[in-house]
Amino acid sequence: MAKTNELSKYIVAISLFIIAGSCATRKSEPITGAVVDRSDTRVANGQEKYNRYCQKCHPAGEAGLGPAVNGKPNFLKKFQAKHGLGVMPAFKDIISKQDIKDIGLYLKKLDKLKKRKDI
Amino acid sequence: MLILLCILVSHTGCYRMKKSKGGGQIGKIPPRVINAQDIALPPGYTAEYVASGLTFPSSMTFDDQGRMYVIEAGYSYGEVWLEPKLLRLENDGKFTTLATGGKNGPWTSLIFHEGYLYLSDGGAAEGGKIFRVTTDGEMKELVSGLPSIGDHHTDHLVIKDNYIYFGQGTATNSGVVGEDNMQFGWLRRQPEFHDIPCKDITLTGQNYVTDNILTEDPDDKATTGAFVPFGTSTTNGQVIKGRVPCTGSIMRIPLEGGQPEMVAWGLRNPYGLALAPNGDIYISENSYDDRGSRPIWGTGDVLWKLEPGLWYGYPDFSAGVELAGKKGFAVPGKDLVKPVMKDYPNKAPRPVAMFGVHSSTNGMDFSTNPAFGHTGEVFAAEFGDMAPGVGKVWAPVGFKVVRANVQTGVVEDFAVNKGKKNAPASMLGKGGLERPLAVKFHPSEAALYIVDFGILKMTKRGPEPQTGTGVIWKITKKR
Repeated sequence: MAKTNELSKYIVAISLFIIAGSCATRKSEPITGAVVDRSDTRVANGQEKYNRYCQKCHPAGEAGLGPAVNGKPNFLKKFQAKHGLGVMPAFKDIISKQDIKDIGLYLKKLDKLKKRKDI
Repeated sequence: MLILLCILVSHTGCYRMKKSKGGGQIGKIPPRVINAQDIALPPGYTAEYVASGLTFPSSMTFDDQGRMYVIEAGYSYGEVWLEPKLLRLENDGKFTTLATGGKNGPWTSLIFHEGYLYLSDGGAAEGGKIFRVTTDGEMKELVSGLPSIGDHHTDHLVIKDNYIYFGQGTATNSGVVGEDNMQFGWLRRQPEFHDIPCKDITLTGQNYVTDNILTEDPDDKATTGAFVPFGTSTTNGQVIKGRVPCTGSIMRIPLEGGQPEMVAWGLRNPYGLALAPNGDIYISENSYDDRGSRPIWGTGDVLWKLEPGLWYGYPDFSAGVELAGKKGFAVPGKDLVKPVMKDYPNKAPRPVAMFGVHSSTNGMDFSTNPAFGHTGEVFAAEFGDMAPGVGKVWAPVGFKVVRANVQTGVVEDFAVNKGKKNAPASMLGKGGLERPLAVKFHPSEAALYIVDFGILKMTKRGPEPQTGTGVIWKITKKR
């Protein structure tokens, strides 16, 4: 019983985390007042690869053809990019492991941008 | 593992069961409210509206005196046929009508070059035309008979080295005439029309069986292949002769007019053309839809650099990637896409940048004024999705202005509506952007103008564009 309660709490916590993340999916420059710093070459590479492979279905990380990726746990984004899920194809044979890591790094930086107070 | 599965399911939901939530899928059509404060811009920029009450505005330009000219398209998807108009904004803030067109819109592009205006007449009824127009409105036809009577039309113009370059859209979604073309309206008017390759191509003989929508018999079936009229089948190894003018291409004519010649081909709907500061020409291509006999899923709009002589991949590639046999391009729950061409003229090139699926990324212009910023980047107007007609979307796509770095391929939002989600103003109940269709930098001021087509509602019957809802916006850099 105690184990079940523990598990339920864990699921609720993760669900809340996802829902909270979902509320802050708009991260583009007009909304945050900033763009991701590209001085880190891995971040810059991640941004370019994101634009090449992911942008079309998740423009600016927001929902489009597919759901938003902004505000979602990083491990989830990496898992889905590698293995695919539902209608999203797997990219493990298209995007290299290093590029998937760099995309993750870029998205982490994007998630850290805060909404402007004047918006 | 169970937890991970729960998270994944809650994260993705079930796409197939989910209803489309496109930006045109609004209920009651609201009045067009105009409030520039509802537009979010990067710090340092400010928006204002310049003109409103326009009907289907599609393009604008400035003459050498800085006077603004705007065209109203006349025709809009939804089979609305109005009079296309060339307008000039006068000092008193009112428009003067300089010229009008017949029932052959949409007028899609307007540019100014060495004392003359040049405009493209989309040609939905009689075929595309390009005109040279004096600033008093006197029109001279430079070319006619362009193959524009299908889904897509004669598109944007640029002038380079005394030639007018223009985009010419395809007749169909992906090479095959089908029931979707009846819904567009043209198949009943032009039952013999189909896509025309610029050069000879060899087919695989892939055919598609549909109801024969050109007969009254509900049991009558039609078999249709690629690059042939509706109800015509093709065979493996069949050669389709190429000819110019062709569909899905960039062509050019001399500045004084004349016969078109092919510059590049294998493009679906090369709507936007823009001349970069270094003289290169860039193309925005509207990509495939989930509709018709050969529906294709998950293909984003594309930014290309124009390379003379090159074939860009239509109808078997998207953004340089082959469609055949890939899960990511098959409509969920349907068969994988099959090729219609047996061999290809060249290796499909790699794009410069990618835009959202169904974003309808259209008119473009390069920033060249350091006072505005982002010099060397191309700004593009995203008309926004026409879901569910083009396919299902999770959320509205487009309805904004973006900027693209042509070196890195990175696309950043530039002008979007404020709010919890990206959507047109009519859906948000606000007064910002509706459907940006073109952008134009002022020739001397640090200002970007946005041509906003206005409200276009999507219904099961098709598009319902709203007259008098078009707006011209101006974005300036604060000093």
